[in-house]
Amino acid sequence: MNRLTSYAVPAGIVLLAAAVLLVTMLPKEEAAEELHLRQFGQLPVVDRGRVKPLDTVARTSLLVISKRQTYVDEYQNSQPAIRWLLEVLTAGRREDAPAMKLKVFRIENDEVLTLLGLPPRPGSFRYALAEFVDKIDVIAREANRAKAIDPKVQSTFDAKILELATQLQLYVDLNQYKTPLVVPPWAGGDDWQSLGEALSELQRGSVENPHAVSLGLILVYYSKGDTAKFNQEVARYLERLQRERPEETRLAAFEVFFNQAEPFYRCSLLYLALFLLGCGSLTVWVVTISLRKPEWMVPVRTTLIGLTVVVLALHSWAILARMMIQGRPPVTNLYSSAIFIGWGAVLLCLILEVIFRRYLNGLGVMLGAACGGLTTVIAHHLAQSGDTLEMMQAVLDTNFWLATHVTCITLGYAATFVAGIFGIAWILLRIPYEIWQPRMQPEIAQVLGLLFRVLSLILYATICLATFLSFTGTVLGGIWADYSWGRFWGWDPKENGALLIVLWNALILHARWGGLVKQRGIAVLAVVGNMVTAWSWFGTNQLGVGLHAYGFNNTLSWWLVVFWASQLFFIALGLVPPWLWSRRAARPTLGLAD
Amino acid sequence: MNDTALKPPLIASPADQPPTRPLLAAAGAWVYRTLELAASLRLTVVLFALSVGLVFLGTLAQMDEGLAVVLNNYFRSIIAWLPVRVFVRFGQVFLNVDPHLYTSGDEAVLRFPYPGGWLLGSLLMVNLLAAHLVRFRLTWKRSGVLVLHSGLFLLMLSEWIAGMYQVEGNMTIPTGGMSNYTENRDRVELVFIDTSDPKEDAVVAVPGALLREGEVIRHPDLPVDVRVERYYANSSEPRRPRPGEENPATAGDGVHLVTEPRRRGVGVDAEQRIDLPSAYVTFLDKKTGASRGTYLQSVWLSALSNQPTQPLTIDGKTWQTALRFERSYRPYTLYLLEFRHDKYIGTETPKNFSSLIRLVDPQMNEDRQVLIRMNEPLRYRGETFYQSSFLPGDRGTVLQVVRNPGWRLPYVSCGLVAGGMLVHFLIAMVGFFVRLARKGTL
Repeated sequence: MNRLTSYAVPAGIVLLAAAVLLVTMLPKEEAAEELHLRQFGQLPVVDRGRVKPLDTVARTSLLVISKRQTYVDEYQNSQPAIRWLLEVLTAGRREDAPAMKLKVFRIENDEVLTLLGLPPRPGSFRYALAEFVDKIDVIAREANRAKAIDPKVQSTFDAKILELATQLQLYVDLNQYKTPLVVPPWAGGDDWQSLGEALSELQRGSVENPHAVSLGLILVYYSKGDTAKFNQEVARYLERLQRERPEETRLAAFEVFFNQAEPFYRCSLLYLALFLLGCGSLTVWVVTISLRKPEWMVPVRTTLIGLTVVVLALHSWAILARMMIQGRPPVTNLYSSAIFIGWGAVLLCLILEVIFRRYLNGLGVMLGAACGGLTTVIAHHLAQSGDTLEMMQAVLDTNFWLATHVTCITLGYAATFVAGIFGIAWILLRIPYEIWQPRMQPEIAQVLGLLFRVLSLILYATICLATFLSFTGTVLGGIWADYSWGRFWGWDPKENGALLIVLWNALILHARWGGLVKQRGIAVLAVVGNMVTAWSWFGTNQLGVGLHAYGFNNTLSWWLVVFWASQLFFIALGLVPPWLWSRRAARPTLGLAD
Repeated sequence: MNDTALKPPLIASPADQPPTRPLLAAAGAWVYRTLELAASLRLTVVLFALSVGLVFLGTLAQMDEGLAVVLNNYFRSIIAWLPVRVFVRFGQVFLNVDPHLYTSGDEAVLRFPYPGGWLLGSLLMVNLLAAHLVRFRLTWKRSGVLVLHSGLFLLMLSEWIAGMYQVEGNMTIPTGGMSNYTENRDRVELVFIDTSDPKEDAVVAVPGALLREGEVIRHPDLPVDVRVERYYANSSEPRRPRPGEENPATAGDGVHLVTEPRRRGVGVDAEQRIDLPSAYVTFLDKKTGASRGTYLQSVWLSALSNQPTQPLTIDGKTWQTALRFERSYRPYTLYLLEFRHDKYIGTETPKNFSSLIRLVDPQMNEDRQVLIRMNEPLRYRGETFYQSSFLPGDRGTVLQVVRNPGWRLPYVSCGLVAGGMLVHFLIAMVGFFVRLARKGTL
């Protein structure tokens, strides 16, 4: 095997993959004769305390209402959120407006559907406003009743009717020009205005605001279906903004590019692909050992590592882009913690894969991809509540501590999860190893034996790293708390959660040093670490107490229980003594022994 | 290093020992064995596991009990009597257990004993010290562990100091107003204020701990004797009595206002859970013992109404009376010049809270302006003032005032632990890679 096949071919494959990825992410030119929706989406507005493009407002609003960033029009074509926003903005109060007939409201609760007299529509569960507009009073009455109930004892129906009421309110606010604040400051003022305010000022003739005029014209041309004039007015307005507010306009355009590239969605798919490639790489590995051609693995694992670097680069770019748009360190809320933990876990697994590539042969990439894929999927579900680049509560408004304490703590979570997933890998790989060991080729048995030693070494190193990061992060948090609340340690649920991770990791390390556990014991304890970290990350928020409770969510509880149950399953598997597997294998069954 | 060389000669074979002193040898061996037992890593792991349990259960307990209760009863106690209810709460949040279960009447709650924070902490400290006594080796390889463990020792010490000596209070200042005292919201006092001197008020205070039902409080400084008819550790907001409703009060505000006892830990503010106590007290003439009326005294009235005190006239002299949060006075005064509560544009999300304060201290000859904001407290004369909350309608500020003599310790100890861990793990890692390079394989 020469240098060409070992390194040049993998390099070629990796570069090609990177180029393909890049090309698919670049936005398509908008043809002159079609609606310039992307340009319209770039218009900067103010919503929930920050300047953002209309495209983001459209996407997050539709996400809240429809749990999706696209919708299906009357011809069954998928359309972007910005088009839905245009429909809503031009609907006025007409009952026959197209916006009224778009099936976007997702209502899945049986009781709510019965209340509204709607047929269940399994699969999509999406309804047009026109279908239940006559029941608005009923919704308002039920929502007012539900609002008075303590969220802790609310029934599912109460919660769902409140959700629907929130969605309707969002629709109405958009439709009646209350939010967002779309009209930039004009003539000495520095307050952004909603279109409603600006238009009524225009009607009174008090201020001749050209921004409001342009926006009004854009909407009029859209509702008339005059594409050419719509495009012309959007271009003119955008040009004026670029002159007057260059910074905000540029950032808004970048954010639209970021939105359309959908980097995290791509990442989850690519992580799935990497996971499968990792499985493939392991299969190839077993084959190469039986064929006594270990050098064949070199190009395979080089390609795999290269591809992982490409995906991680995309993930890193996406996090950096978010930081640039928001002007904040990477982690500011639960959503960003998920994508950052995923990033840290993939990075750590990649480093381990590179160091121990001769032993892991793609296992590290596979486990990293599993972490990356799961966390991006979690993040996707956490994003359902709207804009993930939200403004921070006053106490969190400090970049220094967010950059140090929060980053450190989340990396500590990432390291603990990596230890946990390597623990799972140890437990799962051990079972076939114990079963087939007596009949294995000695080469394979030897190589696999070495793999288990490497895995426990990785477990130990990762747990040390996790202890260091979680302890330092926890302590930095203590120092921050001393600055802002006046006590170093307040026994708040979130702080306790962080302490639990530190204690648990310290427990594993001391148990190992004391010789109380060996390889298998460490693997099992590391999986328990997954449960502890999940408690700290999500569980503590669910209690609804404390100063850190920044993300309560009902469905989260359920998923958390599912996660814990799955970890308990792995723990149980790990607790089965090895001789039980091998004795089972010794029994001559199914002719396997021949 | 040779391990056997470390063993003290005390447990060497009897032949090496002078036969005349077997008792001493036996005692020494016994001491060493005890130390070894105390130093065992098995004990460390067990203590860690118990600590994990305590922290977890204590977190769950916070769903029902205020932080102060959880702190004192579980984390800062020898034996924590944990309520079985915490498991129900866990089930309610995560396992779909009926949310109405166990929501009231928790006074007779079932409890089980568990080692408390003080016990676990001190055992861990003993374990740590014994381990270093028994296994002490001053080598480069162990230097990180030594530094990190001494840091941990300091950290536990600082938490103990905080638990024993930390004093917290609140200072509320309306905009344009001033304050020279802090309030302790965990304790109340019944006060009699002599306002006859226009310059200074004289205050006689009865600590809340003495207000027990049926008790009569007598003291030469008090203008009257006080008989406690009823005492509610937490009470509902006073309201007008319904026609025909029984009302113990015969004088003062209580004539047209009644209150009822309430479960502790359910305060006005769901987040802070402050108890607002009320009491019905009868003032008795010191000489004749005749009743001067039964009054409703409540923190609701003293803290949240426009009329914080109720007058009481004894022998032609008028005293102002009130049940209020315990105050402690300072030799200096804080004036609130301006309170700011900024929001992000177009939202109700607070962006910043800040209080512009004028600090006047005649003793230290200080008169200066300071700005207290989130993450930027004022440290003055051993105390730290934090922006904590604000009065409704942004009419003033609430500062949290903390005195903790050990506040610098965590900074030192954390540096030690983090640095020690880094050194220890780096040494181990470098050693591993050096061995790997030398052997070429694992």
